[in-house]
Amino acid sequence: MHDVSQNDLKEDQEYHDKNDDEIKSEQQLVETIKVQLEQEKDKVSSCEKKIQYLLADFENLKKRSEIDIQNRVNSITDGIILKFLGIYDDFIRAKDALSKQDTNTDGLDAILKNMDTFLIEFGVKPIESVGEIFDPKLHEAISVKEDLTLDDNTITAELRKGYILKDRVIRPTLVEISKRDIKEMNTNG
Amino acid sequence: MAKIIGIDLGTSNSAAAVMLGGKPTLIPASEGTTVGGKAFPSVVGLTKDGQLIVGEPARRQAVTNPEGTVVAAKRKMGTDHFFKIYDKEYKPQQISAFILQKIKRDAEAFTGEKVEKAVITVPAYFNDNQRQATKDAGQIAGLDVVRIINEPTAAALAFGLDKLKQDMKIMVFDLGGGTLDVTIMEMGGGVFEVMSTSGDTQLGGTDMDKVLIDYVVDSFRKTSGVDISKDSAAMVRVREAAEKAKIELSSIFETDVNLPFISYDQSSGPKNLELKITRAKFEELINPIVERCRPSVTKSMEDAKLTPADVSKIILVGGPTRIPLVKKFVANLMGKEPEAGIDPMEAVALGAAVQAGIIGGEVTSDIVLLDVTPLTLGLEVLGGLREPIIDRNTTIPTSKSKVFTTAADNQTAVTIHVVQGERPMAADNVSLGSFNLSGILPAPRGIPQIEVKFDIDANGILNVAAKDLATQKEAKITISASTKLAKEDIEKMTKDAELFAEQDKKKKEEVLIKNEAQQSIYAAETLISQQKDKISQEQGVQVSNAMKELKDVLDKGIEEIKPKLDLLTKLINDISTELYKNATPPPGATGQSGPETTTQNGPSATGQDASNSPN
Repeated sequence: MHDVSQNDLKEDQEYHDKNDDEIKSEQQLVETIKVQLEQEKDKVSSCEKKIQYLLADFENLKKRSEIDIQNRVNSITDGIILKFLGIYDDFIRAKDALSKQDTNTDGLDAILKNMDTFLIEFGVKPIESVGEIFDPKLHEAISVKEDLTLDDNTITAELRKGYILKDRVIRPTLVEISKRDIKEMNTNG
Repeated sequence: MAKIIGIDLGTSNSAAAVMLGGKPTLIPASEGTTVGGKAFPSVVGLTKDGQLIVGEPARRQAVTNPEGTVVAAKRKMGTDHFFKIYDKEYKPQQISAFILQKIKRDAEAFTGEKVEKAVITVPAYFNDNQRQATKDAGQIAGLDVVRIINEPTAAALAFGLDKLKQDMKIMVFDLGGGTLDVTIMEMGGGVFEVMSTSGDTQLGGTDMDKVLIDYVVDSFRKTSGVDISKDSAAMVRVREAAEKAKIELSSIFETDVNLPFISYDQSSGPKNLELKITRAKFEELINPIVERCRPSVTKSMEDAKLTPADVSKIILVGGPTRIPLVKKFVANLMGKEPEAGIDPMEAVALGAAVQAGIIGGEVTSDIVLLDVTPLTLGLEVLGGLREPIIDRNTTIPTSKSKVFTTAADNQTAVTIHVVQGERPMAADNVSLGSFNLSGILPAPRGIPQIEVKFDIDANGILNVAAKDLATQKEAKITISASTKLAKEDIEKMTKDAELFAEQDKKKKEEVLIKNEAQQSIYAAETLISQQKDKISQEQGVQVSNAMKELKDVLDKGIEEIKPKLDLLTKLINDISTELYKNATPPPGATGQSGPETTTQNGPSATGQDASNSPN
């Protein structure tokens, strides 16, 4: 009996030792899994972050593309209208030259009227200038004229008409402006 | 994270760029594009009543306000110079700050985000004072200047030379509106080091414009006897026409300057300016100016103790370098062609944005640096044609699918042969692999639906799967080398496609017509067997003969197949029309109905017996 109980105790002890080992290794396993879980969580959160960034980038790209397309359309339209304006200018010059030679220009006037309608249909508006005060957003100054009777920077002559297409200045009006005292003007730069 | 922008703060023009979706993109000036493109003139105007005007509007008002207008403030950076404007004094960095503020505003409007950081470029020869002044200008403008980099380095970055991972000597030839800068750099381990700089501060595109304008005015004086040089309205027109001619002569060999009614004479009436300018004449005019670049190039080479053979890459910067004569001049002098592909007007700003992207972690980030498929991926279809599935330059990961069908009656298996390349015939491309899908239910040709799906993951691994939509049976293959090709191979394959384009087109047409012929023969056979009682004997014989004749020439050329095919098609059409006319329409039928048919170029898969047809 004594021996048996000794044996039992021994076995018990062994059993407990074994159990402890198993628990230890299981605990280790749990720890490893925990670490792995944390790593995976990190991975997931970094992936989520990437996806968020990508989605945001994609949304931004969509918005950007819309603007880009609009800009490109605008730039092509501006280009076509500008080329047309060159021919339109020449046409007015031709009419003026013929008027000076006392030639009947009724037919040309009719064509000009059609051209004007075309410009209006496309939303092209001329920039008024003579008598106005110079505005660099609308006008480009080519020359200066001394005039004591006018305020400084009053537009005295229009060298080439400018135009606005919708809200864009596609061609500034080239102008001559007045100054009360030209000599006073120094240069810088 | 807020964007960092790249700024090319130039003497005559300035521009800015930002990384968008991994690519450097120029930021347009708020007043819209002008002659200078998206860049704007580096001009600042301050009016008597204290208004600040920057860029294109400032240039327009320069004549009205010379005292309040500053141009080329960059030339005074880092000096003790003061600009005296209406009793107030401004340091050069304050003037530059006005330009930078405008860029900041434009960039914020363009990106829709707050912009607080920037990379600014300076000439390679700028000393510490000048660099510090540039940094200060940024600070005054409310920008944290995270890095000042050399303009030639920025240009090299724009061309991606840092990615070549090899040591080399680079020459940057920067010819702007009014200055020439030649820089020799050494690149090693991705670091650029300036070996020498040389240049001319009074040489540039403006000189070329002037000789061309003078030539136009002189020619007109010779032919008409009228001097228009004092007529400002006429001169505006001449200047614009000369600019246009200059641009046109870079791509064509002859252009017309046509300015009707340029002047008016009471006695002789209106005068028109009509002048033909050839590229040869233009080159003759500007050659003396281009030649003036020679000493700067020679000196930069001498200072760097190099010979032209030591320089492996040449980069051109600045608008005038678009002129063919300038390109030719540099190429002859250095014995090699300059790099191409980036607009020389934009290179510095774009390169500054690349540097900004690197600093901001945007360029190396795997989020932005997505790969693309270098070549088209497709599969072989009837007659050995290549059907593209994923086009070249598609950003990966991506997946695309197409539905194909069989080419022969009761065909129970198809072979999916995956190829890569730009040629229309499958055999001329690189074969990536093939697999079979079997177990298709026996059916007439054109009935089974086989979906083929190409899927490339972020690592460039291609999975191709074929699925019979009726039985859901599937077969697949994994190809791991679909995007990993040497640059030279990609270039060669793309070049081959261009080289053989004509020949390939012919081959493809031949196959298409053969496919069509086989299709017609099949249709005729079906028609005769199914509609035997409704077709007259004469018609039957005609079709049989036409079919036989077509079969006999199937292995001949297009010229022989075409008339026979046309004849058979016509006979079939005639019979079909007649049959339809005689048929009583079912009650309530309002239009044609029936199975959807695919077009001539529609899907089809290579059959096990290699005799497939579309439909």
